[in-house]
Amino acid sequence: MKHIKRWLLMLGFSLVSVIGLAGCGFPGLSGSSSDTIRIASQNTTEQQIMAYMLQDMIQHDSKLHTTIINNLGSGTVSFNALKNNQADISSIRFVGTDLTTIMGENVDRNRTRATNHVRETFDKKYHMTYFPSYGFADTYVWMVTQQTAKKYNLNTVSDMKKQASKMSVGIDQIWLNRKGDGYDGFKQAYGFAFGQVHPMQIGLVYDAVAAGKMDAVLGYSTDGRINSYHLKLLKDNKQYFPPYDASAVATNKVLKKHPELKPIIAKLNGKISLKTMQTLNYKVDNDLMEPEVVAKQYLEQHNYFEGSDD
Amino acid sequence: MAHLNLWEQLLYYYQHNGVYVLSQFSRHFLISVYGVLIAAIVGIPIGIFIAHHGKLSGAVIGIANVIQTIPSLAMLSIIMIGLGLGVNTVIVTVFLYALLPIIKNTDTGMRNVNPSLLDAGKGMGMTRLQLLRLVELPLSMSVIMAGLRNALVLAIGITAIGTFVGAGGLGDIIIRGTNATNGSAIILAGALPTALMAIILDVALAWVEKKVDPTA
Repeated sequence: MKHIKRWLLMLGFSLVSVIGLAGCGFPGLSGSSSDTIRIASQNTTEQQIMAYMLQDMIQHDSKLHTTIINNLGSGTVSFNALKNNQADISSIRFVGTDLTTIMGENVDRNRTRATNHVRETFDKKYHMTYFPSYGFADTYVWMVTQQTAKKYNLNTVSDMKKQASKMSVGIDQIWLNRKGDGYDGFKQAYGFAFGQVHPMQIGLVYDAVAAGKMDAVLGYSTDGRINSYHLKLLKDNKQYFPPYDASAVATNKVLKKHPELKPIIAKLNGKISLKTMQTLNYKVDNDLMEPEVVAKQYLEQHNYFEGSDD
Repeated sequence: MAHLNLWEQLLYYYQHNGVYVLSQFSRHFLISVYGVLIAAIVGIPIGIFIAHHGKLSGAVIGIANVIQTIPSLAMLSIIMIGLGLGVNTVIVTVFLYALLPIIKNTDTGMRNVNPSLLDAGKGMGMTRLQLLRLVELPLSMSVIMAGLRNALVLAIGITAIGTFVGAGGLGDIIIRGTNATNGSAIILAGALPTALMAIILDVALAWVEKKVDPTA
């Protein structure tokens, strides 16, 4: 009996030391303690750049600890992370995407109405604050090489109709089954389908079209590789893709707990233009720079937007 | 960047992102070490216990064996359901995988202590605790260390997958390399330090293992 007691004591001791170690939030690893601002970022370049920018801004302007929850697979995953209190801030969310995927409503191509509606719903229903846009919109664009454009005389999306059945196209894997602004809706709106559709990781579509493996691809308008490969963007002549203004979203809970956060995040409102985002993306995607390094450089160049509150 | 060859690109990458790589390296290292440390705090006492209670040994090692057969990505996802995204999930996963080598080696080490030495100890009037502290543990220390060494090398590999639950570490760099144009240099930039970390720790712990063996 006596030695069982001793073993229990030992087991208790090891349990206490484990809990003690975890309770200190594992020294050296930010993000495991409860007083850390957790920024959720998806696996795309611009998401990561903006996540690091938010992190740098918060660390520069306040004493809060931050950590980045990186490489989340989609906007829904990052939304759920916020909803389930696994993260506090989502580095970029798009009004157009949230309207259709999160709220499950129909596409609204009126920018102001859609934005106000999404903002209100997020506040009331999900208790999250949608910040004003960073200043750029990232929308889906069909793109082809200049040679293809010349060969088939392509300027708008509708121009692809004649060749479509023979074309093989590369698309973002999450776009294929999306309701409202996905492929099904696209077929209806434009009245044609493509011969072969290859869903792929979004970062790969630019290479695929430039290397001639795909005839056309659907990519992001903010990607820096559009310029480096001189890709031709086809005009969305039926205005099928809704506006995707990019904003930060934070939970009301964290903004209430740390009131200093709101003005810090708001400093980035309207500060990142489409051109800027393309340049920053290009540095990461093409010039072997890490998103963290690019974000820091940009903020240092602009003095962390010191003195600009809005 | 296309004008540089792969090694020049790698050099360029390290020149421009050195601090970042270093911070991810230490993060990766700490996640692995914390997981293994907790596994050692829990696993070594369990190992000692089952070595003394022969019947339990099969059952406990059986359970640890079953844990080991779960693919690491599946294990990460299962634990994520409970603990959510982030670094804690990865530490718990590492902990679970590190348990088997640690428990098994502690058990083996303790059992391989020559029984006549234990008898001699008992004959000298040693208490159970003294026997454990002065005879059994020192004699099995090198085998226990070998278990820790196995566990740590395993842990570094698992931490690399931890990038999928957003824990950071060198896996982040590898994944980013797969998304970038001409990302081979970035993939290497993340993979090489990961391999290097495993090799260095393996060699260092092999040295410690030799040092703590009193019979050597």
